[in-house]
Amino acid sequence: MTTPPPVPAPVRSGDAPLTPAVTTTQVYQVIIRATAEAVWAALVDPDQTSRYFHRARIEVVGDRIVSHGPAGELWTDGAILESDPPHRLVHEWRSLYDPVGALEPASRVTWQLDDRGDGTVLLTAVHDRLEGSPHTASSVSGVGWATVLSGLKTLLETGEPLVR
Amino acid sequence: MEDDDAVFKALADPTRRLLLDTLLGRPGASLTELESAVAAEGVAMTRFGVMKHLKVLTEAGLVVTRRDGRRTLHHLNPVPIQIVHDRWITRFTEGPAQVLADLKHTLEDQP
Repeated sequence: MTTPPPVPAPVRSGDAPLTPAVTTTQVYQVIIRATAEAVWAALVDPDQTSRYFHRARIEVVGDRIVSHGPAGELWTDGAILESDPPHRLVHEWRSLYDPVGALEPASRVTWQLDDRGDGTVLLTAVHDRLEGSPHTASSVSGVGWATVLSGLKTLLETGEPLVR
Repeated sequence: MEDDDAVFKALADPTRRLLLDTLLGRPGASLTELESAVAAEGVAMTRFGVMKHLKVLTEAGLVVTRRDGRRTLHHLNPVPIQIVHDRWITRFTEGPAQVLADLKHTLEDQP
């Protein structure tokens, strides 16, 4: 077993805000009252993603997953590394929506859908391989992914987007 | 228990907030690392005590664990806090945000 690299301790001074360590693995999780099939469909249907994913229209094009902004501009484009509907989807992430992030190497997003057997799905999103992409890491961290998962839950459970 | 109840209950304890603060700066921290972080803040607590607090945080969805070989890695999951935020804040801000977006379009579309 290899020793993990040292991680800097959080800077803490009274109640001053902490600096999150964003370039290591980011993990986001939400429980959604829906079937795994419905959650999977919502991840790859541009008419649904545009209602919760920062307005991005996300779709599978051949062996790639591609997203466009409201004006048709290319936002992200990455190879699909693994696809096992409706359980697991792994794809590359490149921040083409941002001139600085666009120059960074591809990172990786893993979606895991676990049916909890009670009419709900535990959806986990892991964004990793961010070591060489600090700009992307900080642009997606915290609120970036959290609003996507919160918005997806609202859309699937109420049929209405969080923000119109 | 309602999801929101579990979140508020979990956040209503200074040691549990300290654990979340630690995970913000050290994603993937092990139990031993969290134990040291708590001790470094001058909080006297046994390993079992830290585990009990982590269990409350995990049940509220605020901490997610992953396995890496024999190690258990802990991550802060901000989504439950975002859901609480969206319930009371986002719904208020969409109005003004839309007004500004409309204004921008109106001004930019003028010849």
